[in-house]
Amino acid sequence: MGLILIRMIGYRSAAALPLMLAVSVLIFLVLRLIPADPIGLSLPPNATAEDRAELARLFGLDLPIWQQYLRWLARVATGEFGTSIHFRRDVADLILTTLPATLELVLVGILIGTLAGVGGGLWLFAERNRPWAEGVLDTGASALMAVPEFLWAILLILSLGVAWRLLPFLGRIDPALSVPVVTGFILADAMIAGRVDALVSALAHLTLPALALGLSLAPLIARVLRASLLDTVAEDYIQRARLSGLSERQVLIRHALPNAVLPTISLIGVQSGFMFGGTLLVEVIFAYPGLGNLMVDAVRATDLPVIQAAALAYCAVVLALNLIVDIVTIALNPKLRPAP
Amino acid sequence: MKLWIGACLVAMVVLAALAAPALAPHDPVEMDLLNILLPPFWQAGADPAFPLGTDALGRCLLSRLLYGARIALTVAFVAATAAAVVGSALAVLAGYRGGWVDWLISRAIDVWMSFPPVVLSLILMVAFGVGLWNVVAAIVLVDWTRFARVVRAEVLVVVRRDYVAAARLSGFSHLRTALREVVPAVAPLMLTLLSLEMGIAVVVEAILSFVGLSVGPTVPAWGVMIADGRSDMVQHPYGLLLPVLAILATVLGFNLLGDGLRQKLNPQHRGRTP
Repeated sequence: MGLILIRMIGYRSAAALPLMLAVSVLIFLVLRLIPADPIGLSLPPNATAEDRAELARLFGLDLPIWQQYLRWLARVATGEFGTSIHFRRDVADLILTTLPATLELVLVGILIGTLAGVGGGLWLFAERNRPWAEGVLDTGASALMAVPEFLWAILLILSLGVAWRLLPFLGRIDPALSVPVVTGFILADAMIAGRVDALVSALAHLTLPALALGLSLAPLIARVLRASLLDTVAEDYIQRARLSGLSERQVLIRHALPNAVLPTISLIGVQSGFMFGGTLLVEVIFAYPGLGNLMVDAVRATDLPVIQAAALAYCAVVLALNLIVDIVTIALNPKLRPAP
Repeated sequence: MKLWIGACLVAMVVLAALAAPALAPHDPVEMDLLNILLPPFWQAGADPAFPLGTDALGRCLLSRLLYGARIALTVAFVAATAAAVVGSALAVLAGYRGGWVDWLISRAIDVWMSFPPVVLSLILMVAFGVGLWNVVAAIVLVDWTRFARVVRAEVLVVVRRDYVAAARLSGFSHLRTALREVVPAVAPLMLTLLSLEMGIAVVVEAILSFVGLSVGPTVPAWGVMIADGRSDMVQHPYGLLLPVLAILATVLGFNLLGDGLRQKLNPQHRGRTP
């Protein structure tokens, strides 16, 4: 079994590579459409046609587009993304400092969403015999699912942040505090530094943005978990477990949940990719210094090297997440494995 | 029930957008610097001339909301319909023809699905520049996959049905079979997706105009209002809350309509109370 799993992992990783290449072609081509003329912008108005040609040669802009792409790809493959025009810093460095913040946000968001969703699903399941439940919950879940992350973000800021002043809603940590960067994950860094005050402040700052992400995941999980629990408890082996004298709680925890939880896990996997994209706006609204804020700042300044690198980073993470989800799903569900 | 709630919400927004010139008490871009940050009518200090109050430049929030609905709905209807046509056409082509056509379209969908939609629409807007029709184009280019993916799967099921084979055997051309036999079979699905896509388009337009990449900062779009309202949210939360509620009502309307249509149009669900 181990061997088959390893072979499947190898196969899926190999399939992700051409996708990443195709993604880079698309990003490169789209950003070439840009109406601004980079050469015209960087030359004085009295420049001659020879000056233009000279500069074009310098940047390689006189080559055919596919050669330009290959040159760019060769540099990107070696981790050389160029220098940001707007931030005046190495682009790879910018990505590496912001990406951990975004990953941290997504992970905490998934955690909150999963806890709330599983809790909600179990509660919906427990209320399954109430006559009012079905219609109200159905419409209610639709209503909750209609709220996109960035509107949750604004509603949370207005309620918990501004009106009740419970939680901070700007940045990643109290500006008066700081911890030495080791991993880039601020919660881990605060623990490594042994600073309780920084850990508390970072957690408080993370709560609202992660909650905004989690709230868009929770109703989906609750709905799917309830549906698969309802399917599972109708099975014969659950009846047998009841007849063998187990309490309802024991039946639920020992027999129904482990079998009903698979669709929920694949849902979390699929949604984590979407949630990663959703962080972009949430970060902008909470002024959270992650990849999304970097990308939007770069977009506003038309800072092409940063835009390209950030877009590539987003796609790389989505593909990596999909890969992890595939592997976990195959590892958990023997039915998906090919026969040896 | 869902269908009717959704239809009512959408109808209200459509009416507000159509009647905006008649309903709006002010020009949406007219500034009145003597009356800035006025509260809505139910609060003390409100001015009846500005029923929902004003923003930091003294612009009437009600008028801006009404005109914002026009932009949101224009984008929603045009972009979602175009995305539906492009995506479904490719889906029918892929599912009906199979072979290398299917392979090519499916791989294109895979590439598109590797992008978070927001990221792809941002780089498209960087390339296109701001403007209402550029937003529409960006949404179509991002969201055609939502239709292509789902409809293709359905087409693959439909083309194996006997009546499609019968149509071919009785001498229908490929085009006629596809249009007369396959498309009607997947039409209910397309309609449901279309309604959901309209909600998505409203959100995407709001996101892009919030970031300043949609229609330009002077046009009264809901996302622009959110961006404007953010700076004064502590003393004047309505500038932020009202456009958020407008977006929520519209998206909820389209989503409920889509869900309702799905239950109504699916023969397996017919007769069941949702």
